[in-house]
Amino acid sequence: MESSVQGKVPGRFLNLADLVVNWSRKYSLWPMFFGLSCCFVEEATAFTARYDLARFGAEVLRASPRQADLLIVSGTVFKKIAPVVLRLYEQMPEPKWVISMGSCSNSGGMYDVYSVVQGVDQIIPVDVYVPGCPPRPEAVLEGLVILQDKIVSTEKPSRKIFHMEGGTQGTDRPVLENGVTKSADPRGPGYEGLEIRGTSVSPGWPQHWGSRSDIMWTPPARRIQLSSGDQSIGAVLKERFGDRVRQEAHTSDMLTFHIEQDSLKEVLRFLKYESKPNYKRLDDLTAIDESARRERIWNKDFAGAITDAGEADAYAQMAKRPYPDFTVVYQLLSFDSASRLRIKSGLNGAYPATGSITDIWPSANWYEREVYDMFGIRFEGHPNLSRILMPQWWEGHPLRKGYPGRGTEMPPYTFADARARQPMDAREVAALDHKAPAGEREFFLNLGPHHTSTHGLLRCIAALDGEEIRELDLEIGYHHRAAEKLGERQTWHQYIPYTDRNDYLGGACNELSYVTAVETLADIRVPERAQAIRVMLAELYRLSNHLVYFGTFGQDLGAMTPNFYTFAEREMVLDIVELITGGRLHPEYLRLGGVAADLPEGWKHAVDNLVAIFPRRLREYEKLLGKNPIFVARTKGLGPMSLEQAMDWGVSGANLRACGLEWDLRKKMPYSGYDNYEFEVPTATEGDCYARYQVRVEEMRQSIRIIEQAARNMPSGRHVTDDYRYSIPNRNEMLRDIETLIHHFINVTRGMKIPRGEAYAATEGPRGEHGYYAVSDGLGYAYRMRVRGPGFANVQTLPLLATGTSIADLIAIIGSIDIILPDIDR
Amino acid sequence: MQPISDGIMSPWEPGVFSLAVYSILVLAFITSQLFLAVWLGEKKWSVEKSRPYECGIIPTGSAYFRYPVPFYMVAIFFLIFDVEGAFIFAWALVYREVGWAGYLQMSFFIVLLLVGLFYIWKHGGLDWRVAYKERYPAGS
Repeated sequence: MESSVQGKVPGRFLNLADLVVNWSRKYSLWPMFFGLSCCFVEEATAFTARYDLARFGAEVLRASPRQADLLIVSGTVFKKIAPVVLRLYEQMPEPKWVISMGSCSNSGGMYDVYSVVQGVDQIIPVDVYVPGCPPRPEAVLEGLVILQDKIVSTEKPSRKIFHMEGGTQGTDRPVLENGVTKSADPRGPGYEGLEIRGTSVSPGWPQHWGSRSDIMWTPPARRIQLSSGDQSIGAVLKERFGDRVRQEAHTSDMLTFHIEQDSLKEVLRFLKYESKPNYKRLDDLTAIDESARRERIWNKDFAGAITDAGEADAYAQMAKRPYPDFTVVYQLLSFDSASRLRIKSGLNGAYPATGSITDIWPSANWYEREVYDMFGIRFEGHPNLSRILMPQWWEGHPLRKGYPGRGTEMPPYTFADARARQPMDAREVAALDHKAPAGEREFFLNLGPHHTSTHGLLRCIAALDGEEIRELDLEIGYHHRAAEKLGERQTWHQYIPYTDRNDYLGGACNELSYVTAVETLADIRVPERAQAIRVMLAELYRLSNHLVYFGTFGQDLGAMTPNFYTFAEREMVLDIVELITGGRLHPEYLRLGGVAADLPEGWKHAVDNLVAIFPRRLREYEKLLGKNPIFVARTKGLGPMSLEQAMDWGVSGANLRACGLEWDLRKKMPYSGYDNYEFEVPTATEGDCYARYQVRVEEMRQSIRIIEQAARNMPSGRHVTDDYRYSIPNRNEMLRDIETLIHHFINVTRGMKIPRGEAYAATEGPRGEHGYYAVSDGLGYAYRMRVRGPGFANVQTLPLLATGTSIADLIAIIGSIDIILPDIDR
Repeated sequence: MQPISDGIMSPWEPGVFSLAVYSILVLAFITSQLFLAVWLGEKKWSVEKSRPYECGIIPTGSAYFRYPVPFYMVAIFFLIFDVEGAFIFAWALVYREVGWAGYLQMSFFIVLLLVGLFYIWKHGGLDWRVAYKERYPAGS
């Protein structure tokens, strides 16, 4: 009798305590300020006024794991970052909870690739999964509410609190093990033993023959008429270097030369310093693994390849050894003549070597490291030839044709891997870049990969002498999503959603670069209406990106308010985007030859609303930030870049224009009908942080002008080309005639074929020149898809700008150059 | 100044008993707070948790070393001028009493201070990054 009373009283007390504790916990979850990729943008949006996460008591974003009890894993978990995710989770105090946000974090999502962990639940326990790619801010709210319910309904924390036996609190789910407690099969459990559908036609090694693309006919790739300037460059090179330089007879995009290895550097030097016009910028440097070229081994004529006798001869010549093992591709740009030039040089051998050109262009440093990392090609004379995107322990070179593309084809990434595969020690990274040993007064500070001010997974390693940055090293690759490898696997249309995610704040601007490249290659004509819609969307995204820039730059310098203001207009922009495309961050709306659907009813009204209010709001914001004495004092004169440096390092976009050069692809090499719009190209001369800020603010003003013009003069007509060979037909038309139906069926299922050839196209993205280099081998997917991200070149200048400043200045500089990691690491 | 008359301020009558009670209450409150904070809740120790947090990376080297403080000169100048400022505050209290003579003396004092400040300024004493720039000339 007595014992049962004693048993009951603490029981009742404990139940009451559970109730109180759970109630308090439910409404005071503190999430960590931790983001991996696109999803975090939506997570951060959930904190702003429109979604107002504060209503649920979880608005206190903590920058340190010590003060947080909720980890929202928002975005793609990369194998390189996974040890960091695990550490952050372990450094959080008890009790703690985990929400996995977005498809990537849940299961790898659309990134079934070598660099991505196929689900964060393989390394840390997960309480709640939020589906979506990316989930909307409302989905974050729902995830939070589900977690709150879980806390209240299942947890019994008081026994743990009072050090008694039993009780539950925090995450108690187990870490899953691939193949045991979760299925490694992308199709779900139960399919083991069945070959993945499409395996027989997927690219890679060994090659599978008999692609159905071969029975499809296409016209040959586009052929351009070279300008007189380009022709004279060809003549000059011919005269000076003779047979060592071979000009490609027909190209789809720009002047192209093949150069023998021994005279490569000589020609490049000539083009940079002596030729008229001179090619001051190394636009891009990459390589192609030619080993899986079909005519190299499979010497068979196929449709669309040969059209005249002259080429047939050349083809017969090439057929003996049509391609080298690797081709290194250098792409140069001349500011004087607004033209590009491509130089290709063949390399033979399993792990061939070529000369480094870092002594001609300093920006070649990272490009060559990337080629080494991805292909295994060595560059002799390079100061620091080490891996750049993949972690140092990585085996193999992912862009070689024999390398497996899918993450599910590789051994699953486990908890033990996340323990063992630690990021490199700061001192080692610094030692790679600098031969001189660090001085005794210096110590190393890691800023990132998890830091609120690095705007993504960037790791800055500062060798500090007191407050001063003695040397700065960057370690990138924490956000390498294998965008280029995916381009070789997905069909031409399937790749469009992946381009969105390359610069996740740039949305349609990415798609525009990609479709322009493929349209250039296959000579697809885009109706005027589609062009205007594309321009309008691209400018809307530029606006949205610059608004985020404005807010986050302010926040980096300690001003919280701008963020909350600018996200309001950003929501207006995204509402318009959503009305037109159905998506927010990732519209997936552009198609080859046009756009996915015509403009919906009511679009004009929404756009007019934005155009009407925006200029006034912008003036207000400018007063708020641009005239703020603290902001001015912290940015004026800081991190100056000279025009010469900017050209040498391949800097593009607003950062280049802030150095005084009026260089905007929309004006200089117009695409998508930009020559029909009236707008100015804002520039500044100082090249410092404040100049970079000013240029972007002015760009917003110009963007709204373009949007207004596009909306006012929106042409009527088709929204997608009627050349259905290359596009997905209109549904209405598809239902009317059998031919269109066939095109629809083919292009949706196996995908259309793009003729053999190559083309590069770049557009003026929000943060610089965003280019795609599409190489086709006449199949339903690209042979090589090179993405030239503006951030890769822009961020490489960071040590140049920040050395000698302090950590606080480094934050301001990072904020001012507007970086985003997926477009740096791709 | 006027002498303080009786009745303006409360009498000084220390009550030892109430002080003791108050002290005990304060101590008891603090102890209970500290005890609850230490005792309540679940604690799990792990190597990772006890590691310093540095953006998710294992830190390099120790945090205990001779940390260079290049702005110590600025700090010292601030202290010196701050103390000198105290004289000026005192002067403000007796501004009327000391009259023009005091005004001239203080002006002289302030001018001297300003001369000192300009001297330091001219010699770069306020630019605490000079030491760094000398040690690492640009382009090194």
